[in-house]
Amino acid sequence: MIPMAITGFGVVSPIGIGHDEFMAAVNDAEGSKRRAFTSKSTVLPPETFPDARVAEALNFDAVKHLGDKGLRNFDRLTKMMIVAGKLALEDAGVKKNGEYIALKPEQVGIISSTAYGSLEAITELNLVAELEDPRYINPARFPNTVINAAAGYVSIWENLRAPNVTIVDGNCGALDAILSCETHLAHGRADAFLIGGGEALSEPLYRAFRMLGVVCEGDATWEPGDSHSNGMRLGEGAAYMLVERMDEALARGARLRGVLAGYGTAFDAPESEAVLVHPSIDAVTRAVRAAVKDAGIQPSDVDAVVASASGIERFDAAELMGLSRGLREDVLIAAPKAMLGETFGAHGALGMACALAWLEGAEPSPVLSGRARDRINHVVVTTTGYYGNVSAAVLRRAS
Amino acid sequence: MVQTRRVFVTGMGVVSSLGLGRRAFWQALLAGKSGASKIELFDPGSIGRDIACEIKGFRARDFLTAAEARRAGRCSQFALAAARMAVEDAGIMPKDLRGERTAVVMGTTMGEVDVISELQSGWIHHGEDAVERPKLPRYGTTLLPLHLARAFGATGITQTLPAACAAGNYAIGFAADQIRAGRADVAITGASEIIEKLQFAGFVRLGAVAPERCQPFDKNRRGLLVGEGAGILVIESEEHAVRRGATILAEVGGYGLACDAHHITRPHPEGDGSVHAMRRAIESSGITPDDVDFVNAHGTGTDANDKVEAFVMGKVFGGRRVPLSSMKSMIGHCMGAASALEAVACVETVLTGIYPPTMGYETPDPDCAVDVVANAPREGKHDVVLNNALAFGGYDAVLAFAKPGVLPETVGSR
Repeated sequence: MIPMAITGFGVVSPIGIGHDEFMAAVNDAEGSKRRAFTSKSTVLPPETFPDARVAEALNFDAVKHLGDKGLRNFDRLTKMMIVAGKLALEDAGVKKNGEYIALKPEQVGIISSTAYGSLEAITELNLVAELEDPRYINPARFPNTVINAAAGYVSIWENLRAPNVTIVDGNCGALDAILSCETHLAHGRADAFLIGGGEALSEPLYRAFRMLGVVCEGDATWEPGDSHSNGMRLGEGAAYMLVERMDEALARGARLRGVLAGYGTAFDAPESEAVLVHPSIDAVTRAVRAAVKDAGIQPSDVDAVVASASGIERFDAAELMGLSRGLREDVLIAAPKAMLGETFGAHGALGMACALAWLEGAEPSPVLSGRARDRINHVVVTTTGYYGNVSAAVLRRAS
Repeated sequence: MVQTRRVFVTGMGVVSSLGLGRRAFWQALLAGKSGASKIELFDPGSIGRDIACEIKGFRARDFLTAAEARRAGRCSQFALAAARMAVEDAGIMPKDLRGERTAVVMGTTMGEVDVISELQSGWIHHGEDAVERPKLPRYGTTLLPLHLARAFGATGITQTLPAACAAGNYAIGFAADQIRAGRADVAITGASEIIEKLQFAGFVRLGAVAPERCQPFDKNRRGLLVGEGAGILVIESEEHAVRRGATILAEVGGYGLACDAHHITRPHPEGDGSVHAMRRAIESSGITPDDVDFVNAHGTGTDANDKVEAFVMGKVFGGRRVPLSSMKSMIGHCMGAASALEAVACVETVLTGIYPPTMGYETPDPDCAVDVVANAPREGKHDVVLNNALAFGGYDAVLAFAKPGVLPETVGSR
């Protein structure tokens, strides 16, 4: 992998908006977990879902960041992604007060992940078509049914004219954005990319996973990575890193928040032809080994892991086994989903944000296993898909 | 500049309203046949339009096992059927596809949207208990490449690029990048799309759908026809193709991407991003605009698209009127699958020297001053062809295909 610098960071999450809030929240994982899941949802009707426990970005107010013009047809995901992208560009010193102060619009692109980004718009318009008449479908809302619409709006809002790429790889998309980013930077198709993604809470999304029986509700035990956990709790958020070629970032005097050092991915089909959803130990092992090799380090060099563990026991168990095989048995593994909830296509992005926090000195938490080292130089982030696909990345401290 | 390997197309598969398989598809295109017909997938009722380029008579079980057909939605079924045809066309052995060195990269716009619509319909009319829970996991759009990877034993890079109506070019270009960079030796890549009531109604509500026929670049054009299908390519590194004695169909040239950052559905009025993407595709192929022989146009038949595309042709090629044609006059706008099906035709043009026609071209439009291959195929020089695509989100993607040996060794290095 070519050396890639992370020079900016923007986030909208239930535990904080923007770099400083998010870093402080990660450093206080227990408090963040408590705060994230104690508030009532404004997205899920309490009369329909009285036992819902979700991590919702309740403090998110798009108008505060974007003004009140031009937001009418944006859905919740689009607003979160635009704000996260805006914050990342500002944090990187690329834009200020809406104007480019470094780089040019033609030099900056976006590579964005979402797993279910268009679900809310699809179901909303389907409802109109089914209950009223397809003639009443709002043409201004129709573009939101297209999965890449949210990222398209980010480019329009921030005037990003280099390639705009949306990736839908289930839970793995935001880490798969790293491969796309490296590919396009190496070919000179852009000089910088916002990479990351977003996922918004919505009623249909919650309902679907609830019907699948994998959502932990009420006061049932919920501990990602624990064998007694009763499923997952959903969250939401968006995060982007501004990523540049290392030489170019240094040449423009950019501050380095971290280094994208390695990436790996693997797919492993289930044994049974009747099975579609399945966890894979093998895919986890191969993906993390590939990422570590790509980073040019040894498994023993990995100081901590941002795990994908969400509370679905069989997936968490497979991931932990795969990590111990691919790295080492006593590597420190933490599961930030305990404070962020399951954010599907955004997890890789929020996971990288947690990794940056750890590299900046925050204490990894909540810890599932392993021993902490005095100094964290390399963090592995994993994303495990529901169909046997797994991706992993290595983030390194900027020297 | 990055170190690169040459990438060749060695097999192609097609599911289209004009027929199944690359030969039936190509012959129908050259014959100027139309895939348009009355919609049967759903009742178009009050939507106001009832013609689309729908695939009729597709039987998943002709290509998929019973288990595969159960696991996959219609979009993935198209993809898997086309992929099996492509793999057979490539004459590639199963052992050459198994493992980490085979990438699967797929494009789409809305993927398995019919799955969610069907489930939601059950819920709306009969309540939550009517929802078939085992079907819920089939919605994931990420399943498109995973169904294919599973079928062929690929265990490495799998990726879905939902780049709306430019998704085919995005996927094929990215897959070629991975082979050039040495991350894969072979890739199964392309795109798949289905017609679905919501999306059909949405396009009608945008005022983009023609009543009966699609007439790209014609002065009296009235819009697009919605289409569906899948186009899949097997592409390989030169070493891999030579080692197994593959028949090489065409070389994958460079590609260019850009974003208009202008409007979510309308192209930039001066085609800023599109011009940039086309120039990048030419430059990264290691050639000049004078080397391009033919352009397979996006040509949706909408007023805005065709006007902008003609403008872009003038900006990129200056006074030289490079022949161009839009297959959407025959297969409709297959959205995510459009540029993948057009890629198949580009390769056929490279192979045969025949440009497919734009049907329904009757009255030249002064705002579209381009050399349209009108109503009948035309023979011409066929060293290098471009596949042009634009999309919702302001996406612009252009991909080059060439006769083997025409492009310089630096192809794809930038």
